Formats: sequence, C-alpha cells, structure tokens
Amino acid sequence: MKDKPVKIEITDGAGIPAKNDAGLISAWWISFIGAISIITYLVVTKPDPYKDILMFVPDGILVTFQVTIFSIIGASIIGLFTGLGRISKNRFFNLIASTYVEVVRGIPLLVQLFYIYYALGRVLLVPDMLSAIIAMSVCYGAYMGEVFRAGIDSIDNGQTEAARSLGFDKNQTMFLVILPQAWRTILPPVGNEFIALLKDSSLVSILAVADILRRGREFAAESFQYFETYTMIALLYLLITLILSKGVSHMEDRLNHYDR
Amino acid sequence: MTVNSIIEIKNVYKFFGDLAALSDVSLDIKAGEKVVIIGPSGSGKSTLLRSINRLEEISRGSIVVDGQDVHDKSSNINNIRQELGMVFQSFNLFPHKTVLENLTMAPIKLKGIDKEEAKAIAVDLLKKVGINEKANVYPSKLSGGQQQRVAIARALAMNPKIMLFDEPTSALDPEMIGEVLDVMKNLAVEGMTMVVVTHEMGFAREVADRIVFMDDGRIIACEPPETFFTCTDHPRLKQFLSQIL
Ligand SMILES: Nc1ncnc2c1ncn2[C@@H]1O[C@H](COP(=O)(O)OP(=O)(O)OP(=O)(O)O)[C@@H](O)[C@H]1O
Ligand SMILES: [Mg+2]
Repeated sequence: MKDKPVKIEITDGAGIPAKNDAGLISAWWISFIGAISIITYLVVTKPDPYKDILMFVPDGILVTFQVTIFSIIGASIIGLFTGLGRISKNRFFNLIASTYVEVVRGIPLLVQLFYIYYALGRVLLVPDMLSAIIAMSVCYGAYMGEVFRAGIDSIDNGQTEAARSLGFDKNQTMFLVILPQAWRTILPPVGNEFIALLKDSSLVSILAVADILRRGREFAAESFQYFETYTMIALLYLLITLILSKGVSHMEDRLNHYDR
Repeated sequence: MTVNSIIEIKNVYKFFGDLAALSDVSLDIKAGEKVVIIGPSGSGKSTLLRSINRLEEISRGSIVVDGQDVHDKSSNINNIRQELGMVFQSFNLFPHKTVLENLTMAPIKLKGIDKEEAKAIAVDLLKKVGINEKANVYPSKLSGGQQQRVAIARALAMNPKIMLFDEPTSALDPEMIGEVLDVMKNLAVEGMTMVVVTHEMGFAREVADRIVFMDDGRIIACEPPETFFTCTDHPRLKQFLSQIL
C-alpha cells in the first residue's frame, strides 16, 4: 500500500540525465547537439571518407539493435526466474539462482561471451547471431535477476498476505498481485540495462556478428582509415545512447508521476 | 470439544526463536459467534489470529476450521482460506486494481464465477458497505475508512464462513472509525462468525459474545462482556482494564 518510489540502482548504467539536468544547457543537450553537429560537419566537409562510413554502417546498427533487443528479452526472462529464485524459500532454487549470479558476476563479460559463444557455436553448432544473443542474455540475466529481486522486494508484504488470505496460491499471488505492481520499480532499471547492454553489445563484434563496430572494422580494414572510422563509430554509439537515455528518463518521469 | 465449533484451537504454541508468542492456547468458537480478542501489545493477539488462516505457522497444537486441520500439510490451505475472510490493520487493497476489481478478482480466479455475476455480487457488497459510487476508482483515491470498508467487502466477496479482523480501525483517523465499526456491527447482526482483535471496547461490549484477554502469549480470561468488564479474578486483566477504560 505504501507508495514509496523505490529506485533500483544495480548497473554501471548509462548517463541518465539527472532532474536538475533538464535545461537547454545540460550535459545531455551539449553532448547531443555536439554529436549531431560534428557528424554533420564531417559528412558535409569531408564526404570522403565520412559519408562513405556513414553509408556503410547502417546494416550494423540494425544488427546491434537486434542483438540488444533479443538479449534484453532473454535477459529479462532469465532475470525473472533468477529473481524469483533469489527470494524463494526453497533452498534448492535459491542456491541455483544465487550461484548463477555469483558466477556470472565473477567472470569478465568478454570472457563469458567467448566461452558461451564457442561452447554453443563450435560445439553445438548454434548460429553465430543466436549464440551471441544467448551469451549476452546469460550475462545480463544475472543483473536483471537483481533488478527483479529488488522490484519484488519493494512491494509491501501486506499485499502478499492479503492475496494469500483470499486463497490465492504462491504463483497466483506473484503473477496477479506482486509483479503487476513491481513493474513500475523494475522498468526504469531495465531501461538502464538496455542501454548498458547496447553498449556492451559492441563486444559481439569480436565474434562473427556484423554489428556497428564490426562493420566499422570491416570498413577500416579495407580503407585503412582507422581514425576516421572509429571517430564515426564512437559518435554513432554516443548518439544512439543519448537518445535512448532520454527515452528512459522520460519513462521514469511518467512512472513517478503516474497517479492512479 | 463441542460438536458445532467452527474453529477449534487446541494447545497451540508458537515460538519465534526462544520467544513463545503463543503458549498453550485453546479456544473453541461456534458458528455465528463473535469473539473479541484484547490484550497488551505483544501479547500474541495477531499471532493467534494469523495462525487461524496459517499466515503464521504454529509450532505445536492444532487448529481445526470447519472440520479441516489448518496446519496439516496434507490439507489444501488455499481452499480453507476461502472460508476465512481476513481484514488487516493496513487495509492491503490491491493498488493496481479498481475497487470493483479488488472485489471480483478472487471470486473470478478462484471460484470460477463468471465476470458479470462477480460484478453484480461486488456491486451489492459495495452498496452494503456504503461505497458503491466508488466502484471504478483506484484505492489510492479513497479515505482510510473507505479503503477499510472496501477491504471488508473484498473479503466478503469470497462468501467466507468466518471473518478475521486484526485491529481493523487502528490505522484510521478517529472520525472514520465509526463507519468501519458500523459495517462490522451489521455483519455481526447478519450472523457472521467473527474473530476480532481490537482496542474498541465499546464495540466489544456491544457485539462480542465472548471477550478473550491475552497476556504474554496466553489466554488469561474468556468471558461474556457482562462479566468480563467487572472481572476481578485476574490481576493483569484488572490492571489492563483500569488503563483502557
Ligand atoms: N515474525 C516475527 N518474528 C519474531 N517475533 C515476532 C514475529 N511476529 C511477532 N513476533 C513477536 O511475537 C509476540 C507476539 O506478537 P503479536 O504481533 O502477536 O502481538 P499483538 O498482541 O498482536 O501485539 P500488537 O497489539 O502490538 O499488535 C511479540 O513479542 C512479537 O514481537
Ligand atoms: Mg497485532
């Protein structure tokens, strides 16, 4: 019943603009306008190679978004079960979930990626893109698990007791009463994870997945214009991340003000 | 053991670690009876009430509700709970559901009652507790007294045989206590079996068939109101009554 706006901060996250950062002269706007201006300036004044790079990369943007979106979905599903396991009184489920989180947090993301990717791709012959997505999902599922756990924890225990005393069983209580309330707390950090995941998805370029960075590397390898290419790549990532973080902060605002 | 007891509490103990929240508590409640439980803070009133629908697991003893052993692992606790409406101090309405949905949710999902019928029952119940005009608003828009009346209606929507109340008016502003007690009194008149933990002595005097006084996890006295308030056998009770009356 308590309408405490709980904020979950798990991830290194992205630069979500702070409240007092809302004016026109804010870090966000400076970065945003800056990024757009520089891209425009470079493309207009030096179309060779900057325009060529810009034309070459969009395929990769699509792949980056594909990897990110499917991975966040996968990570959310794993995260939901991990979160449920972490709060479970069942020793077995609890231990599995906790161990998973412990293991994932203890191994560098890149190492996990390589490991899962080669295990799936080389040993089980899962396609590249799919193994990359599964790898990202498994890595991020641990963090998402903490987000779900915190979100579920934020709901007053009285809600569970009210539901149980009406005759709802544990699962009905979780899915009909607790989770529908917890999503308000869960959604903003999921947004943050989404942005963090998008950035980390650049790691899949090392595997055979043609995301933004991979496309850039291909371009650079052919043209030998490494500096120019990576300038463009960095600016593109920045632009995408800035737009997404604005979106997340809007969503956060709306959830906070959401008055029923 | 009386044959027509709807709640049979026998030699119940409940330990939190070393602390005995309930010590050898026995109490039989007949169908239609209204039992009010009073006692100082920490005396085990909530623990006893919550043991009746197994929100609290007991350590020893047995509780039988309507012929079913509540704490037996083989009994279906979710079915037993449908017979036992519970009202909490903090209302605990579902904030993401409208008032009407709060009432219809359990009957639809648990009893398989169809939507329209559940709605009709809910509207009747809301009329009964006097807030039918708020059917489509969210609980956060209601006053405490209104929320608690909705909570009572929500419990009644499952058509329980017994209603448990844990200090239903303690979280309310004084001017709202009356409206909730009125709803409870009406319920009593209709013959509902009620177990009520409360500090409202006027309510106890008027409605209770028996008043149970608990202290330190034990039932010290269990008397009809006529003799309860003049009871001098128990020093702790005498002291408690002198403090609150
Ligand atoms: N979950 C718990 N863990 C540990 N101790 C508990 C727990 N719940 C209750 N207790 C203890 O058990 C005893 C009885 O508590 P209970 O809530 O039943 O008292 P009460 O009579 O309802 O008091 P109040 O009038 O304050 O509501 C208290 O000493 C309390 O601290
Ligand atoms: Mg209590």
